[in-house]
Formats: sequence, structure tokens, C-alpha cells
Amino acid sequence: MEELETLFKRLQHLTVNAGVVIDTGEAAGCGQLVEKIERYLKEDFGVGLVSGPPEKRSIPVERIRQRDISKGWTHHSSNVLMLRGRVRSGQKIEGKKHVIITGDVNPGAEITAGGDIYILGKLLGQVHAGQPDNEDAIVFALDFRPSRIQIATVLAAGLPDAQGGTAEYAFLDNERIVVDNYLEANPFARLPWPEVM
Amino acid sequence: MEARTIVITSGKGGVGKTTATASIGAALAIEGNRVVVIDMDIGLRNLDVVLGLENRIVFNVVDLANERCKVSQAAIRDRRIENLFLIPASQSDNKDVLTTASVERMVALLKKEFDYIIIDSPAGIERGFENSIAAADESIVICTPDVSSIRDADRVIGLLYANSITPKIIVNRIVPQMVASGDMLSHEDILDVLSVELAGLVPMDEQVVISTNTGMPLVMQNGSLAGMAFRRIAKRLNGEKDIPVKVPEYKTGMWNRISKRFSKKK
Repeated sequence: MEELETLFKRLQHLTVNAGVVIDTGEAAGCGQLVEKIERYLKEDFGVGLVSGPPEKRSIPVERIRQRDISKGWTHHSSNVLMLRGRVRSGQKIEGKKHVIITGDVNPGAEITAGGDIYILGKLLGQVHAGQPDNEDAIVFALDFRPSRIQIATVLAAGLPDAQGGTAEYAFLDNERIVVDNYLEANPFARLPWPEVM
Repeated sequence: MEARTIVITSGKGGVGKTTATASIGAALAIEGNRVVVIDMDIGLRNLDVVLGLENRIVFNVVDLANERCKVSQAAIRDRRIENLFLIPASQSDNKDVLTTASVERMVALLKKEFDYIIIDSPAGIERGFENSIAAADESIVICTPDVSSIRDADRVIGLLYANSITPKIIVNRIVPQMVASGDMLSHEDILDVLSVELAGLVPMDEQVVISTNTGMPLVMQNGSLAGMAFRRIAKRLNGEKDIPVKVPEYKTGMWNRISKRFSKKK
């Protein structure tokens, strides 16, 4: 109460006819306390309206509604690093989150990302996704022939006899790197709505 | 005409930078340009031997860059090819005696007197390489059809782009029969990885060894396949149109023998 008093005294010029929301969080049975505070605020500071927290909807419904209404991606500033062109031997690209490259990654080039790595072209260099410990990261390439691949802390050498020419992706499964045909596995198809990366 | 400064480089050693420098320089001079070739491999000079001018060295590139002599003193004139000059490397210094500023100053001096300045870069990507590309407007990267050379060329191309120089590439030492049998990478495979403009393709040629040892420029040897390839490259550099890049071919069977016999008679 004293804390409330000092706070509201300091903000006295704002309190007249103001609306106040009292969020009790997860705690139950605070009805009386809320009423008491409401009375006190209205009498002493001339607050206009005091209300409890809004009722919560179940989470999935809430999330779908939010997405549909706000179209989150339209005002999302992404920290995906997207580059166009050829990455040459000796060049090193580091992305804080996901890295997308439309072009080829030559042998001797290095790509490091905190999240996923997507190469729309040939991947012949070294990649490290999910640095340092994001085990959900994947590495995708239209032509998947990396010389070395690391996801989080798991490391694998490239396959010397990899044929290439098919869109493949690598992910972690039980601390092992698994490479799979991307179109057959289609890992993102099960997400029901578009999601900001 | 504004003088053109072309640096010949490769990253990896032993792929034919010096031979290419000597050949392209000589071919451009034969085309009627005033050409100076500069050996930037300080401490390991070779270009003078390839051009057969090692007996006539008095001053070298370090003297010129550090303003200890004049251009006319350092540039050795080739007696066989008019308008071809060599500025040799120093054999006793190391690469730290030159700075990018001194090289730029030297090239600015040379630009007043020559049409083409061809710089033979040392192998590697350290100080010597940096000095060589400091004053260059254009660059030709030499690469041979093997994986290590392509990897190094790729690295060098990245560094050249970082220095705002757009490189072209020459694929050297192509053995057509090995390409045909699938044992050697084709120039298409190489360009697929490097994706830069192709300046020319040069076949493997025993004449290169002979001309290097005798100090006779390759492009003056009639019938040398590599020499002819370098002549075409020089013509293309010189702005002549309608000279397509010729892919070295492997002639099989009877035709091969017949054409060999014909070329011997010449």
C-alpha cells in the first residue's frame, strides 16, 4: 500500500480519470484486495476506472487469432542474414541467426550460423549451424556436398562419394547428424501456418 | 591510349605464372605494343631466365621502386622482340623492401612510357602478392585443372574482388585426352566453380620446357600449341574481336597421325 501511495503521489498529475489495470498474475482469491485497492485509488487519487486482468483464452486459439489479426510477419524485422552470390575459398560468413545464401559455396569457404543454414545452390564448403548449442538447427542445400558439417556440438566429415544434385538437408537426431532428401521428408510441411524465423 | 596494368597471379606456385607473363608480354609486344614485364617475386627471380635476359641485369625492380635508378636503366630491352622490356626482380632482398606505395609510384612512372605493364606476382597471398596487385587495374588468374590449384585460384579471386579488381582466368596445362577420358577436370567444371570470365585455355605442351630452358619466348616458337594459345589470349586482351576461346581438342586415330605428319613437314 505504501509503495502504491508513493508511486501514485509522484504521478498525481496523471491519475485523475485514468484507467488502472490490476494484474494479479497467477495468484487466485485476490478479489477483496483488488476491491480495496480500487476504493483507495478512486477516493484518494480520483482514478476513473479500475479493472482486473483480462480473461485468458486457451493458448493455441490465442496464437492463431494473433497471427490472423496482426499478420506478424508484415512488421517483423528479421535477423536472417541473406546473401546473394558465390562464397569463395577462404571467405567466412557468420550469421547471428539463420543464414540464407542464394549462390554456391565453394570448397574452402566457411558458413557459421546461430540458427539454420540454407544454400540455394551448391554447398561444397564447411558449414556450422546452430552455433553454439542450438540442436534444432538444420542445414539445407540444393546440391548437398559439404566438406564438413557441424550442427550444435556434433561434427561430421563430408561424404567423399556424395553424388549431389538433389535437395537434401541435415538435422540432429540422437546426437547424430542425419542427411535426408528434403522433398521427401519435407520437415516444415507439418507447421500449420507460416511462422517468422 | 591509357596504359593498362595487368597482374598475373595464381595463389598456388608452379602453375605457369612466369611462363604466362613472358608469353603474354612477348605476344603483346609482337602485336606492336610497348610492353614492360615486371618480376615481383623478390628473392626468387625467374622471369629473366625464361626470357633469356639474365646476363644483362644491372638494376632491378627494388632499385626502381626505391628511386635508386631511372626507368630507362632498370628496363632491359629484349633484342629479339621490339618493344618488349623486362624489369627483373632482386635476388638478394626479401619482399619487405617494397611497399604498396612504392610499387604504385613505380607503376605510375611506367605508365607514362608503356602501353602494357604486366606484373608477374609471386605465389602465395602475403606481402609479395599485396605489392603486386597494389597498382593493377586488371588481373589474370592462372590455374591448372587440379583441385588444389582451383582452390587457391578461388581464394585469390576472392582477394582480388576485395581489392576491386575483376579477374579473368586462364586454364593452363590442359591435356585433352585426359579430359576426354574423364581423368582431368574440364574447363567447364573449373568455370563452374570459379565463375569468372575466361581469358583463354592453354594446352599442355612440351615446348614450354624447351623454351624455358633456352630462354626463347614461347610465342616465337612456331608450332607450339601453348605459344599459339598465348598469342590468341594476347590478341583478345588487346581488344581484337572475333577470336573465340579455342578448346584444346584430342584428335584420335588416323587423323591424329596424319595431322602430326603434316605439322612435322612444316
